[in-house]
Amino acid sequence: MTLTASSRVLTTRDSIWRAPEFTLAVLAIAGFVALAIATGGNLLSAGTLEAFFRFLAVPIVIGLSQMVVLAVGQMNLSVGALTGFCAMASAWLMLEAGLPAPIAVLAALALGLAVGLANGLLVVLTRINGFIVTLATMTIIQGLRYGVNGPDTYQGYSEGLRAFGRASILGLPAVFLVALVVVVLVGLYFARTVSGRKLLASGGSPFAARLSGISNDRSLVIAHGLSGLLAGVAAVLTVAASGSVNATIGDDLLLPSFAAPIIGGVALTGGMVSVTGTVLAAFLVRLVDVMQAQFGINPRWVDLIIGAVVLGAVLLGTARQKLFSLRPGSPQPASAQPGSAQPDSAQPSSAQPGSSRDEERRSP
Amino acid sequence: MEKTAAPPGRPRRLPLWANPRLGLVVLLVLLVAFFSILRPAFLDTRLTLTPLQSDISVYLVVGLAQLSVLSLGHMNLAVGRMAATSAFAMGLTHDKLGAGLIVSLTVGLLVGALLGALAGLIISRTGVNSFVVTLAMDFALVGLITILYASATDGVAFPTMPAGMEALRFDTFADYCLGDICGPRIPLVVPIALVAALLVGLLFRWSRLGREILMTGSNARAAELSGIPTRTRVVQAHALSGLIAALAGFLLAANNGAFSAGIGDSFLLPSFLAPVLGGTLLVGGAVSVLGTVLGATLTQVIYKGLNLLQFQLDQLQLYIGLVLLAALSLDRARHVLAERRGAAP
Repeated sequence: MTLTASSRVLTTRDSIWRAPEFTLAVLAIAGFVALAIATGGNLLSAGTLEAFFRFLAVPIVIGLSQMVVLAVGQMNLSVGALTGFCAMASAWLMLEAGLPAPIAVLAALALGLAVGLANGLLVVLTRINGFIVTLATMTIIQGLRYGVNGPDTYQGYSEGLRAFGRASILGLPAVFLVALVVVVLVGLYFARTVSGRKLLASGGSPFAARLSGISNDRSLVIAHGLSGLLAGVAAVLTVAASGSVNATIGDDLLLPSFAAPIIGGVALTGGMVSVTGTVLAAFLVRLVDVMQAQFGINPRWVDLIIGAVVLGAVLLGTARQKLFSLRPGSPQPASAQPGSAQPDSAQPSSAQPGSSRDEERRSP
Repeated sequence: MEKTAAPPGRPRRLPLWANPRLGLVVLLVLLVAFFSILRPAFLDTRLTLTPLQSDISVYLVVGLAQLSVLSLGHMNLAVGRMAATSAFAMGLTHDKLGAGLIVSLTVGLLVGALLGALAGLIISRTGVNSFVVTLAMDFALVGLITILYASATDGVAFPTMPAGMEALRFDTFADYCLGDICGPRIPLVVPIALVAALLVGLLFRWSRLGREILMTGSNARAAELSGIPTRTRVVQAHALSGLIAALAGFLLAANNGAFSAGIGDSFLLPSFLAPVLGGTLLVGGAVSVLGTVLGATLTQVIYKGLNLLQFQLDQLQLYIGLVLLAALSLDRARHVLAERRGAAP
């Protein structure tokens, strides 16, 4: 479901198949069925299916982590590095400091939250564009991540945590269920809570939000803090599922973190999120991954295909939008697609990331 | 020399100390003094200064590639991959066709410009955010480059280079003498980068094309209403970015001594650092070429200095990030202070 500050849910029956998520859901199901047939049912065997969902957990959570900051029109380039840093820190706590796993898990979450809040405070206090701030903190966090244990690998930490990473409930991996719980919580946060609605309002129109008595600064800090917390969750899932961590964890997460929300139809300009879309998009990207593994394709083709899928999904969304807005009498769809701020004219002014223009304007 | 779409002669002049370029120069001088005191080898021409100039040249050109689209308020996240793809084209032209330096370079620049134009075309035709388009392009090119190198070479790099690249790599003007007079110890790649900076500066300062690109970046709607073909300008600015990225790829290949698949891997962060430190905004409509030169110099001086102080990789990244944040915050604070002073009377 697409969530904006003004419309809660697309409710009418007519608009369900018009929702951008509809295309994604059809694509995801079609892709899954096609892959299941192409692999001769191998995909549906218990082991393969379990692995499929186990390694879907982190992409979903990291996509949500990026989506939360996109909601206020910001970006967080440090999500990948932060995930790696939190993972290394929790492994360090368990192995070197000898703390029990639950404390290490909580510490990883707290660390993610703290770094995220620091990002948000930096953005608010310095009024520097969030893209640049998180670019700088990404570099710093990469240094810290490497500093925990140098190039060496941590393994053999808490047996309980690793058992949790391998565990399955009703055929679904426990880590995937955790990711689903996170999905529901994030969805409820944006749909039902005042704080979540305020984030969307700030992202949609900072000026209108301020006139309504919403503190945009607070929204920015909360969004970045939440993004950091979700990166911490991704770190815990990584530590549990992979069984060993080193300083390269998170390097390959930055681009997927953008791919999932963007394919899922989240606008970079802020004010609009789609939890379902993000999850479906992460599912699609995972399908491409599995296809590569099943057919032994050069892994490099995956990047090529994902790039094409990102672009294709965005173009398809724009095309759908135009199609609907051309029909006479049909209601104008909510601005639910990236680049659709001005659907009929390709004005480059809409093509700037973040609310940087607003930031400039808001400067004292 | 800041170039904005507004006519020269701004209504309210900021005081001299609020000029971000001046702040960069002061910071640069302080850092050089700091590093020289701690490690006198920092001023060693052969060991430090000459390689430093080569590095600055490469990252200045990388910064210019990003600046070309920042002028529109766009981004080019594929700047590194465009450089890599162009470098592949240069290597292939030389390796398979036996072409010389000039022909290979021209082919590479052309490929870069075409890639940029493609990105610009998608952005201007569909209205999709430039961040998304170039991110997707980056994904696609990452895959493509590895596949291309795997099929055209036996590994990750071309075994040969056109004649003349070795000279670009090792020679300085001191190796070319006219009688007894030899040039200074400046690498041959430096003038190439400076000419590129000069041309970009002239383009945005004096040419109609450059001014119209800035207008488009400043206010696309107003530009459109003033009869500027904004879509064409978007394509042209992105093509320029691709072209300059290709030049950066060529310079790095010359510095490294090979056309390899790894070219451009480290371009993304510096490409933003140089223009942003130099005072170019991400919102478009204003660029500063001189600031980009200073920004690129500053980042490379920090890298080199920390390297000489034998910092480990992790500490290096840590301090680069911290210095960057400090520089940006200082710049911001100075700007705010200057505006308050300016608004008071």
